[in-house]
Amino acid sequence: MEKKLFDALVFLTLLAPLVSFFTLCCLPRNYIKIILSASIFLMLISTLSALVLLFNFWNGAIIPIHLNWFSIGTNSFTADLALSNRSLVMLALVAFISLLVHVFSIGYMGGDRDLKRYFAMLGFFTFCMQGIVLSDNLLLLFMFWELVGFSSYLLIGHRTIRPEAGRAAKKAFLLNRIGDAGFMVGLMMIWAIYETFSLTQILSTSTVHPWQTAASLCIFCGVIGKSAQFPLFTWLPDAMEGPTPVSALIHAATMVAAGVYLLVRLFHIFTEDALLVVAVTGMITTLIGAMAALSQHDIKKILAYSTISQLGLMVLAIGMGILDAALLHLFTHAFFKACLFLSAGLVTHSLHKAQKGQQHFDVQDIRNMGGLRKKMPTAFIAFLLSGASLAGIPFFSGFLSKEAILIALYMHNNILSWLMLVVIVSVSFLTVLYTFRMIWFIFFGEGRVIKPLKIEEPSWIMRLPVLILAFCSLWFLVSRNPFDFKGWMLTNENHHSDLLWITFISILWIVAAVLVSWYAFRKNPFKTHHILRKSFYIDEGLTAFFGTVTRISSRTTAFIDRSWIDKTIHGLVYAQVVVAHFTGWIDHVFVDGTVNGVARLAGLGGKITRSFQGGNIQLYIFWALFAIIIFIIWTLN
Amino acid sequence: MLYLAAFLFSIGIIIVMVKRNAIMVLLGIELMLNASNLNFVAFNQQHGQQSDGHIFALFVIIVAVCEAAVGLAIVLRVYKYYNTSVPDEIADLKG
Repeated sequence: MEKKLFDALVFLTLLAPLVSFFTLCCLPRNYIKIILSASIFLMLISTLSALVLLFNFWNGAIIPIHLNWFSIGTNSFTADLALSNRSLVMLALVAFISLLVHVFSIGYMGGDRDLKRYFAMLGFFTFCMQGIVLSDNLLLLFMFWELVGFSSYLLIGHRTIRPEAGRAAKKAFLLNRIGDAGFMVGLMMIWAIYETFSLTQILSTSTVHPWQTAASLCIFCGVIGKSAQFPLFTWLPDAMEGPTPVSALIHAATMVAAGVYLLVRLFHIFTEDALLVVAVTGMITTLIGAMAALSQHDIKKILAYSTISQLGLMVLAIGMGILDAALLHLFTHAFFKACLFLSAGLVTHSLHKAQKGQQHFDVQDIRNMGGLRKKMPTAFIAFLLSGASLAGIPFFSGFLSKEAILIALYMHNNILSWLMLVVIVSVSFLTVLYTFRMIWFIFFGEGRVIKPLKIEEPSWIMRLPVLILAFCSLWFLVSRNPFDFKGWMLTNENHHSDLLWITFISILWIVAAVLVSWYAFRKNPFKTHHILRKSFYIDEGLTAFFGTVTRISSRTTAFIDRSWIDKTIHGLVYAQVVVAHFTGWIDHVFVDGTVNGVARLAGLGGKITRSFQGGNIQLYIFWALFAIIIFIIWTLN
Repeated sequence: MLYLAAFLFSIGIIIVMVKRNAIMVLLGIELMLNASNLNFVAFNQQHGQQSDGHIFALFVIIVAVCEAAVGLAIVLRVYKYYNTSVPDEIADLKG
């Protein structure tokens, strides 16, 4: 009975968003109320069943669900679903954030032309991510992985009238494909090594194969693409062209989290060398992200670079072997980053409404904002709470998850971990700087461009999800004690939480950073450097590099095509024409000749026999007489 | 006498085969009949104890008269209807 209930709940969680997708596809686009209520209702079902699963089966013995998929020869492929504590948390997280984003979108996307497609794709996106979380088969996981990429493509390019949106969607899709090419090669290697795609079987193998480093690095390529790591992170800031709730969903729960989750899932196949690469990639990413975030002007781009930085932090932690803390950070990050995006959405939505009919300015540029503290108190509170969590201020969830990573790193105690520790500490300093830079710019001081505008807060349907998420950025999400990260998620004894002096130092460090940001950005706010603003010109460098490579290779291939392949084809064609003429001649002369000859022979016979009955009576008589004479001669002899 | 009969018969056959007019064909037939009459009479002179051949010749003459009468009547009707007495020109049934 328990098993049956469990299966039903799992499938309900997984399939409710898919049902939402299909239902919305079938509904006519004018029935907006039905579309909205159907998708919200189905997401609510999914969320509730995910939460029931989380509370009832946490730390419980969980039986995997076996489904036969197909078989090639003797290799049968199964579409198994497996649940561990990690996937339970992720499942609930994805469903919950997605539900809040759905609710927020009702207000934010109100009046949009393609509301139906938007909500359908949101459902599909959620379904794909839950598929990644649940699947126990690498091939199935890869399929969901690709579907996530596809649905993010559609959602980023949702505003079809903006060419930039289309370009950003294409860029996201292509950069993800580059990573996924590596993932695919990795899949082949894994099949070659383990001869199975079942994750449970792969992870239970303990022998180390010589190719394992290569295989795990190829898999990591996919993670680099999906989780926006160096050097493929450039799609993420561009993906800000999508609607803000979609950005929240991508950044918090569905897309970029997939890469980190996959890393955690496949951690056991990564060898020492591969993990070193992972850690260094994470380190570079987190540094570049934090520095680039410091000098952006677009509010959404700041948040995007901050996501890149935080993802780099998680990947770094995983590379150093700190799985649970990384996942804890993913968990807390999902809440405060979704909240940051949604409250940024609140701000831009209100400004957009207010500027209608007034002067036109870029509503996402923080240089235009200021003094919104009093005009939009809800957005201010939410932004402040989640920003504090991002900055890692005590009493917030981000503080605890960062502490967990820091202390685990400290416990490693070798040169590499000290280097990483320094990086993380400086990145957290930068994080505080850019977070409070945003807060000072948007909510404090005088309104710069927006001062004369009459700004109203959006409706409650948009404010409520933001407030819920802001509430979830507080410490009790992780544990009851605001200075002890050992809560319901981290129960591992290896994590020491009694190093109070580290906590103390980090608190001092963060306070110092807040003060620095106050002086730096309240006094002279506009200085940024173009290298940082362009995130070290990595995007341009990639474009130039790949552009040159593509141009050269296309020219070479065009030359080869024209000079060799075309000539070969022409030669073949000439030969074929000659052969055709020859066979045509044979056909004409011999085959046709034979047939015509037979026909002519028959005609001749017909003419001869016909000539006996020409209708000439005299001739009849002559022949009769002739016959009689012959008969007489024959009888007489 | 037999030679005369053979000669007459040949003339008759040639007339039948060569001439296209129906009346001439009838004439040729008459010639052939008369040649056969001559044969009957001649053979009866040479071999016969009784005069069977002569009687037979008489019958043939009677039948020939009837035949000529009927034939000429048909030719007359045909001529009236088709305005010709050449059988080859009457080709209504020819496909």
